[in-house]
Amino acid sequence: MALGARRGSSYLFLIPAFLLYSAFVIYPLFTGLSYSFFSWKGTLRAGFAGWDNYAGLLAGPFLDQLLPALGHNALLFVGTMLVQNTLGLAFAVALSRVRRGKRALQTMFALPYLVNPLVIGYLWTLLLSPAFGPVNALLEPLGLAMPWLGDPDTALPTVILITTWQWVGFPMLLFSAALGGIPPEYAEAARTDGASSWQVFLRITLPLLKPAMATVTILSFIGSMGTFALVYALGGSNGAPAGATDVLGLLFYRTAFASGDVNAIGTSSALAVFMFTFIFGSTLLLERVLRRRA
Amino acid sequence: MRLAAAALALAMAVTACAPSTTTSADEGKVTLSVWGWGPEENFDKMFAEYEKLNPGIDVDARSFTTSTEYDTILSTGLAGDSGPDLAWLRAGPQLQPLVEAGRLLPLDTKTVPGLADFDENVLRAAKGDKDGKTYGVPFAVQTLQVIYNKKIFAEHGVTPPKTYDEMIAAAGKLKAKGVIPFAFGGKDDWMLPIVASIFGTAHWGGDAFLADVKAKRKTFTDPRFVEGIDQLNQLKPYFPDNAAGVSYTDAQMLFSAGKAAMFPGGLWELNFFTENAPGVELGVFTPPAPDGPGLMPGFTDGSYGVNIKTRHQAEALKFAAWLASKDYGRLYTDTLRTFSAVPGVTPKDPLLGEVATTFDQHGATYFMNEFAYGNPTSATVFAKALQEMLLGRVTAKQAAEQLDKSVSTWL
Repeated sequence: MALGARRGSSYLFLIPAFLLYSAFVIYPLFTGLSYSFFSWKGTLRAGFAGWDNYAGLLAGPFLDQLLPALGHNALLFVGTMLVQNTLGLAFAVALSRVRRGKRALQTMFALPYLVNPLVIGYLWTLLLSPAFGPVNALLEPLGLAMPWLGDPDTALPTVILITTWQWVGFPMLLFSAALGGIPPEYAEAARTDGASSWQVFLRITLPLLKPAMATVTILSFIGSMGTFALVYALGGSNGAPAGATDVLGLLFYRTAFASGDVNAIGTSSALAVFMFTFIFGSTLLLERVLRRRA
Repeated sequence: MRLAAAALALAMAVTACAPSTTTSADEGKVTLSVWGWGPEENFDKMFAEYEKLNPGIDVDARSFTTSTEYDTILSTGLAGDSGPDLAWLRAGPQLQPLVEAGRLLPLDTKTVPGLADFDENVLRAAKGDKDGKTYGVPFAVQTLQVIYNKKIFAEHGVTPPKTYDEMIAAAGKLKAKGVIPFAFGGKDDWMLPIVASIFGTAHWGGDAFLADVKAKRKTFTDPRFVEGIDQLNQLKPYFPDNAAGVSYTDAQMLFSAGKAAMFPGGLWELNFFTENAPGVELGVFTPPAPDGPGLMPGFTDGSYGVNIKTRHQAEALKFAAWLASKDYGRLYTDTLRTFSAVPGVTPKDPLLGEVATTFDQHGATYFMNEFAYGNPTSATVFAKALQEMLLGRVTAKQAAEQLDKSVSTWL
């Protein structure tokens, strides 16, 4: 009985957090949802619109922006997985063998992600500027100067590289922690049986890192889908050049704040609901698949 | 002064809550709040004149620097009770959300007599599309032209071109000497329609063509329009390398640093270059077309509107009437070094005077502002299309077709 009473009172302690969560997460979420079902005249709510705002998302000219933006988000995710998380794993493994200065190196790798992505974005725009940038000035004599952010073919890969530069420390820390949790006896036993270090890595370390990989994958997915600040700083609100770096976040920003459309709130709320449903749904799915494997 | 205004506002807020037993010395003094964008000291300087003329009025100006944030701040402010008495409004399409939400007081010649003298083309940018009422007193007209560095021109024996061939020859000469002829960057895509109109408006025949498009007698796929925007391709050799990757600020820096001889852009750049490149002596010209003189596109930049919920409507309207007067027009031109929208104001600045003369003789309407409707707006669609054109991914004809397709969704 005493236990039951204590459990009852323990719910009381959840109330402050729950109130904050309701005010800042649940309430806006439902307001956004309700906004998306109305038509708007500026900030004035007009009549009930049903699914009209959602139909507007699928109308020709808007869909022509939505699909490429979604595609770029997906490419960012793939790029992040291939480049950033692979490098992160490599750094973590390499650091696990370093004896001295491991902490210092970890901090150094992780440092860029403490800086605001907007700052990183503007910094790299200056570094990569074709008119004044030092990067091309250094590469010019080698014949390797590139348009970087100025050409649709190289812009998105450049964004992926900059994202990697900023975030590589994050998967590295997660993998480092996971590596530290693997008992060294496994590797020792394998080596006694004559396994090479590559075999030890592939057969023992990698399988035991699966839970960490699942976490990194899911976080990368959420990060890539919700990206805004960095691409905004690098390519502006239209995802320059020629929309090559346009993503859902920028599309939402444009629709909500820069379109001048009388029904901007309706359309952008519908887009926000779509983004939330899509990201939340995909994350749940991804998590289910990955957890089962891990 | 701003502190005093803030203290006054606070005092008023406090007295508003308390029962009316106030015996404040400032009683009877009305504070008008004005929101806008751009440097705040300019507002303070201009409005101090009004305060001198009207001792009972205190004008408190607040400026918000980021343009897109301003729109959100203003629409939120006007929707609630925290809005200003008067505010800078955007021109044309971007004004409509506020009009449709009923946030603004319609103005007429009874309340603001000066409006009667305004040019209809200027006033159109401050009107509601549906009801045709005027919602603001326009404050500025911007023109688009080429700004050039007089010293670089003189060093290389180049003069402002009178014909199209002269312009190409001059650009070639500068390029051969290692000077970038035109500082132009296509990375910030809003610059592209501006530059296309600077070089192209004369090709498609200015206002007559726009009227034909609006009346659906012609479309943007017209060969003359295609030829006009194709100027960006024709002039590409005289832009910086990788022009599509060069940002607007890069282009400004190239010109400020004397690495480029000309800057195609808006009149607002004069103010920027005067402050940031004081050593550069500036001149302006309108690029000639192959078959005659060029046309100088221009547009109304914005207007002063009155909040429908203002508690000082009479004072706000009186202030608006002053904003439509020549006194204010002169003050605006001399303080900001751009054109005032008030008719009949001659700028003191000789360079501005020169632009004014050209604009009177060869002025035209900047096409993009008239066609910035739709979702996404035709301006967004076309800016992107021009960027693709500059990158060589689509032809001028295809870019024009994209604009035509977008315009046909709402026209």
